[in-house]
Amino acid sequence: MNSILILLITVFSITLFFYGRSKSKIWSIEKSVKLKALPKFYGYYLVLWCSIPSLVFLGVWTIFEPVIIKSIILKFAENQGANILDDNAANLLYEKVKSIYSGNFFGDIDFVLKESAVSYAKFLNLFTNSKIVLVFTLIIASIIYSLKKIKNNNKARDDVEFILKGLLFTSSLIAILTTIGIIFSLLFESIKFFSVINVFDYLFGTNWSPQRAFVRDATTITAAEYEELKDAFGFIPLIAGTAFIALIAMLVAVPIGLFSGIYMAEYASIKVRKFSKPVIEILAGIPTVVYGFFAALTVGPFFREFGESLGLTVSSESALAAGLIMGIMIIPYISSLSDDVINSVPQSLRDGSYAIGATQSETIKKVVIPAALPGIIGSILLAVSRAIGETMIVVMAAGLAANLTINPLDSTTTITTQIVMILVGDQEFNSPKTQSAFALGLTLFIATLILNYIALRVVKKYREKYE
Amino acid sequence: MNKLERLKKRHSAEKRFKFYGIASVTIAIIFVLILIQNIFSKGSSAFQKTVIKVDVFYDSELIELNNGATLKEIYDADFYDLTIENLLKTYPSKNTDEEDELLKLFSSDAEYEIKNAFLKNNQLIDKTITLEITASDDIDQLHKGNYPRDLPEDRRSITDNQLFIYDYFVENEIINKNFNNYFFTNGDSRDPELAGIGGALVGSFYSIIICLLIAFPIAVLASIYLEEFAPKNKITDFIEININNLAAVPSIVYGLLALQVLLATLHLPRSTPLVAGITLALMTLPRIIIPCRASLKAVPPSIREGALAVGASKFQSVFHHVVPLALPGTLSGTIIGLAQALGETAPLILIGMVAFVVDIPSTPIDPSASLPVQVYLWSESAERGFVEKTSATIMILLSFLIMMNFIAVYLRQKFEKRWN
Amino acid sequence: MKKVKIRAKNLDVFYGDKQALFNVNLELNEKEVTALIGPSGCGKSTFIRCINRMNDVIDICKIEGSIEMDGYDINDKSIDVVELREKVGMVFQKPNPFPKSIYDNISYGPKIHGKGETKDELDEIVENSLKKAALWNEVKDRLNEPGTSLSGGQQQRLCIARAISVNPEVILMDEPCSALDPIATAKIEELIDELKTTYTIVIVTHSMAQAVRVSQKTGFFHLGKLIEVGKTEKIFKNPDNKMTQDYITGRFG
Repeated sequence: MNSILILLITVFSITLFFYGRSKSKIWSIEKSVKLKALPKFYGYYLVLWCSIPSLVFLGVWTIFEPVIIKSIILKFAENQGANILDDNAANLLYEKVKSIYSGNFFGDIDFVLKESAVSYAKFLNLFTNSKIVLVFTLIIASIIYSLKKIKNNNKARDDVEFILKGLLFTSSLIAILTTIGIIFSLLFESIKFFSVINVFDYLFGTNWSPQRAFVRDATTITAAEYEELKDAFGFIPLIAGTAFIALIAMLVAVPIGLFSGIYMAEYASIKVRKFSKPVIEILAGIPTVVYGFFAALTVGPFFREFGESLGLTVSSESALAAGLIMGIMIIPYISSLSDDVINSVPQSLRDGSYAIGATQSETIKKVVIPAALPGIIGSILLAVSRAIGETMIVVMAAGLAANLTINPLDSTTTITTQIVMILVGDQEFNSPKTQSAFALGLTLFIATLILNYIALRVVKKYREKYE
Repeated sequence: MNKLERLKKRHSAEKRFKFYGIASVTIAIIFVLILIQNIFSKGSSAFQKTVIKVDVFYDSELIELNNGATLKEIYDADFYDLTIENLLKTYPSKNTDEEDELLKLFSSDAEYEIKNAFLKNNQLIDKTITLEITASDDIDQLHKGNYPRDLPEDRRSITDNQLFIYDYFVENEIINKNFNNYFFTNGDSRDPELAGIGGALVGSFYSIIICLLIAFPIAVLASIYLEEFAPKNKITDFIEININNLAAVPSIVYGLLALQVLLATLHLPRSTPLVAGITLALMTLPRIIIPCRASLKAVPPSIREGALAVGASKFQSVFHHVVPLALPGTLSGTIIGLAQALGETAPLILIGMVAFVVDIPSTPIDPSASLPVQVYLWSESAERGFVEKTSATIMILLSFLIMMNFIAVYLRQKFEKRWN
Repeated sequence: MKKVKIRAKNLDVFYGDKQALFNVNLELNEKEVTALIGPSGCGKSTFIRCINRMNDVIDICKIEGSIEMDGYDINDKSIDVVELREKVGMVFQKPNPFPKSIYDNISYGPKIHGKGETKDELDEIVENSLKKAALWNEVKDRLNEPGTSLSGGQQQRLCIARAISVNPEVILMDEPCSALDPIATAKIEELIDELKTTYTIVIVTHSMAQAVRVSQKTGFFHLGKLIEVGKTEKIFKNPDNKMTQDYITGRFG
């Protein structure tokens, strides 16, 4: 049905374009009036008015129609006596109704189901017909309006451009919409979560074992159940694990990245730089799932065997393996940014230092790096933000047990791993377990936001100094 | 410390410092090489599959078909007994236990392959043809040299007897390696020897196309607005801050967004390239906007002014003159953004693209996997055979990425004009 | 009769394929100010950058011939360029103080060369250098402020103090006043006059009036060749070479 409507709108639009274009020429001759714009713009004007309101209307209707119908039917079913106290039962009932409608249902159909299915068919029909009528009304109204306008010789080009500018502005609003969407998604579930689990139990709890949270519906938790639950969602081991692995990663990435950046910016010949810079940036282009695979398959077992040969117990999912691989992935973030930042330190500073008789390394250590420091710190902060938000490497190579440890040979888990693990298994809607994943996501989002903000401020301040 | 000593110390510090620099660059490059070598060495064997030569006699007594049977009749016919009979002919087994072990050397696909040959040529009743039947996963790995033969029998899945039969096959040159077309044409499978990336390829393809169709127009229009038309006010600043933030948000947060808005609220179908495409588009938007704006910014004002001077409207000057010049940089940035989207895994896992999908999806609203998600799924499997498949998938994925990056760099270098 | 501090013999300098200096022979006397004049791009800056081997920083720069200081060829393999630059300081056209405090700007050089081990020693060096550069009174109460917070003229005197801090024997100045206003310029010319009693100074300048004011010896460069060199008074009153005469009288450049 939608495709037919869209086709109709397209046909109307094309017709209107040619109509508008030719008619405007004719009218200007008839009335001996000079057109205020090229004829084709009158055509465009009609097209825009015909298509935009109706398409937008169609889109919004299509998106919200299923949701509205579903709530109507469920309300109806409840009135008929259906027992749909929780979401799962409600969804099940609705799925059955839809299957009956499409002729795919082969189970027993009781009275409630039958009535609901009939009601569903009725409302679906009603909505579809309304949609068609309303779309047509919109189209006709728009055509009448716009025809009147062009009859009065409007400044078609200006009007068309105004409308198009509106479209441009709307496109740029998508960015804000996305942010709103993210905040909404995270907050929505997190609020449900925090209505069950106290924020402080979450932030300061030292035990994370959400498997315990088998409660089906968060609204019916008893006090006794809560006592058990409140110790299951402690955030501390997760932030500790995340920070620990990120720390190992930075210990690998900062020295190698910084020295690579310094070498490429200060010492390397043009040929060497032309070769090594892209090769190192390959490290940034490799999908993280590849790193995760490499870490899980090769590096983790290697460390375990190597450790065993030295008499140490090393987990095959050691924080060391995950951190090392993550560090490798981060190297280009630091080396490229440092390279750029060091290059933008003015040569006059270096000249002043050489003229006093400093060696190149002394100049770099005491003049160039301090001058470039804000930019370098900014790049490190951005790298840390990347490390914290990284998912695949830790999902595949780090462990699942949330233990507080500072032994790099142990396995530990991170925020992102837990989000994936919670949401990939069987999802129980409305359980604190599923909601906790969103609470974790919210925490992660806020943390990276703050880090990114500080990093960008620092880099911006640095840029202002030299440009 | 006298003058000379001090100078020596300073010069050796210089040498050390330079050495650290060279060492760091070298270490980084070596990592790249190790990674690539590791993947390629593990993955190259996946492009071949082990096959066993079987002379298949289409005994009319074992199947109820005649020459000239229709496709439907062939599909419905039972080839099981025929298959067993023919497979057992490959080796003189001494007892039923040995027969069972012999049968296990062949892939579970054997029956289908025998049927398939008849589908292609339905005049084979009571005739014999030689087919190359796919070997089972263990034999496949054994033949490729990835199997630990030397382990004691109770610690491996292949019995001594089966090893004996295998060696017999090798001696008699019945066993061979062919090009593994299944890898490209099949979807996922529990049997590693039959598993392929066909489904994942199509899934990735649809996802990226949808991502492109959504992200590119919106991103370019938004960039044009922000760069050329937006007034310098708080709203514009706010939009810009948002875009910069979104570019740095961890990808898993986009997965949560998709889960809540696309799946839970809008009830779009789970595990489909449609939802994946929309999610990837949201992620890729800022990554296209940022280079697009930079390209627009780089076009000198003289171009715009020249157009305005001949009476073009601001709109016309932007769209007819400025945008075409900014196109190479924009396209280049878009391709790089798409390359990053191609490699994304975490958000797709969250929207459920972890379904075990055997059939190749035919539309963007069929459930499917994507290449990186397939890598993730197979890496979780215990079977040895999946290691090479996973590595080979990575090779394919990396090839696409390298190609896309090359195109992006080429576009930028060939068509971008330097304005100073 | 002054001793010759620096002697350039048959000096040719190439940037890649382009030759910038042709067979320059020039002697610079110690504790005297020598001015190098000539139109833009004639090689004056290239010449003085050879004296402290700043041209080493530029990959494509090649030198033939020799420059001797106190009789030693400074381009010889046995000479440590770091030591050379301790003895030959440089002040640049645009003041380039480090983004550090005034104190750290001055103490940077001595620290590197091991000239001040204790805080007191460094304090003394900083004070002396700033005094000799006629800047001490203006900054003595704000030594911890960044060097970049000073005015243009003060920054240049800071750079001169920085050059002095390592106790050089020669100070090279590449158009040190071209970015400064007349008052600041006058202060620096005064300073140069005092400094010449301790250091050998070579100053590249665009301003002939300045050359007359500060120098005792002048060399005229044109298109990479040293056209004429001699006592400042002679060069400006009655030069031997016609080209020199034309330049002095403003016929070109």
